[in-house]
Amino acid sequence: MIVDNLPQFTQFQIDEQPHIVLDKEICKSCDHHACVHSCPANCYTFNEETKRVDVVYETCLECGACHVICDKGAVNWSYPRGGYGVCFRLT
Amino acid sequence: MAKYFDVIIVGAGPAGSMAALKLARAGLKVVMLERGRYPGSKNMFGGLLHNTLVLNEMLPSFWERAPLERHVYKKTLAFMTPTSSVSLTFETESFEQLPYNGYTVFRPSFDNWLAGEAVKEGALLLCNCAAEDLIQKDGQVVGVTVKGRDGELRSSIVIAADGVLSFMAKKAGLRRDFRAKDLGLGIKLLLGLPKETIDERFNLVRDEGADISLIGITEGLRGGGFLYTNYESISIGMVVHLDSFEAPGKNPYQVLDELLQHPHIRKLIKGAVPLEYSAHLISEGGIKAMPQVYTGGMMVVGDAAGLCYSNGINLEGINLAMTSGVLAAETAIQAIEAKDYSAQMLSLYRKKLDDSFIIKDMRTFKNAVDMMRIERLFQTYPQIVCSILEKMYRVEGIPRARIMKLSRKEALGKVKMRDLISDSIKVGRALL
Repeated sequence: MIVDNLPQFTQFQIDEQPHIVLDKEICKSCDHHACVHSCPANCYTFNEETKRVDVVYETCLECGACHVICDKGAVNWSYPRGGYGVCFRLT
Repeated sequence: MAKYFDVIIVGAGPAGSMAALKLARAGLKVVMLERGRYPGSKNMFGGLLHNTLVLNEMLPSFWERAPLERHVYKKTLAFMTPTSSVSLTFETESFEQLPYNGYTVFRPSFDNWLAGEAVKEGALLLCNCAAEDLIQKDGQVVGVTVKGRDGELRSSIVIAADGVLSFMAKKAGLRRDFRAKDLGLGIKLLLGLPKETIDERFNLVRDEGADISLIGITEGLRGGGFLYTNYESISIGMVVHLDSFEAPGKNPYQVLDELLQHPHIRKLIKGAVPLEYSAHLISEGGIKAMPQVYTGGMMVVGDAAGLCYSNGINLEGINLAMTSGVLAAETAIQAIEAKDYSAQMLSLYRKKLDDSFIIKDMRTFKNAVDMMRIERLFQTYPQIVCSILEKMYRVEGIPRARIMKLSRKEALGKVKMRDLISDSIKVGRALL
């Protein structure tokens, strides 16, 4: 079994206010992009050509891995406002 | 105008709800702030609610009312390579007797139910409320503010039950910054299967459940897998040390995919339908990574206090959380009676923790943290075990070696004697 796009099985109440904001200038000079390969929801992408890191906060599972693993202080991360964000039903 | 409570509890997870239940029964004015739309909506774990004394005491026969899945009857530890596996299964009829040793549960249901029990006793539950900051006065915590809302909530005592990334503990200056080396990343996929299929595949009857730990499935990363049976679904996933992801390599998705494709796992989950995917961080730093658990006007419980440990055999957290919630509530009751909310008064909570199984167990297995960082444990050793067993069983018409000689040859072909000795010492210090 290979499951594509796992977060499609998870419910989200999307806030218009992002709860993850990147300092992209810092990300440009980052040499490891650990956020990209630690995110369990594949929210982060790194573009080799433009050296740009992007984040899609809408399908964030709110684990906080990116916030902890980023040692450059570039991931400004907080819990979404009450009632927003991921909403587990079963798990 | 601030609203006043005796106790504000940040987070309506198992620790927070048990604290609320205890406090409400003592007749205190207590509120739980839950950032999710309902308690449990932000929470996940592998799947096992351990037998917990305080739960049995405070909610006798809870199993008749709580939303539980199967009780765990069968425990398996499996060492795997991409093509082989060796497993040790323990099952006993004593796991068939109440109170059961553990149940698989779904956190959105269980946590919601537990918070409801506290509400029934008079606790107030405010959902959709993410605590933003602590209000401090003269060095004491006296309340909290809520994200996106005006006004503030004031209390004699705040109990931080806000989970593994406790921003409350951090804001109170009780902990240092979160570090990747102290945390594990847990990911899990819930797979739907008919009950009969699960019973057949795992050899279970009635409400019996299986708990399988998988070692060796996280190639290149330090971690382990788990598989729990629910009534009509299987929880499968893994916990990987977060700092394992610092070096470029596989991401969590890929490791999970590989696990799902393992030939032995594939048979177990054949035909299953993905139902939900979730992830969470877990404290892996043991007792040394614990924050300070009290200050003037505030106590920290459960995951927020780093109360969680794993030694490769026992993986406990939810039982420590619920127990710590009750101990903090007991302390709060005493503090409120004495009208003394000072750090000195609340240090009683730490004493209660120290005297309980929580800190005792975390101390007993304090060296397990070092053991769990042995890279070879997660790949090389499972390979060695599997290759020894394969050589023992395979019939090829080639003269056999005695078991000791065979084992030594297999082991030293993959590990240096020096490393083998140092790893053995670490495992010995952790468990023996």
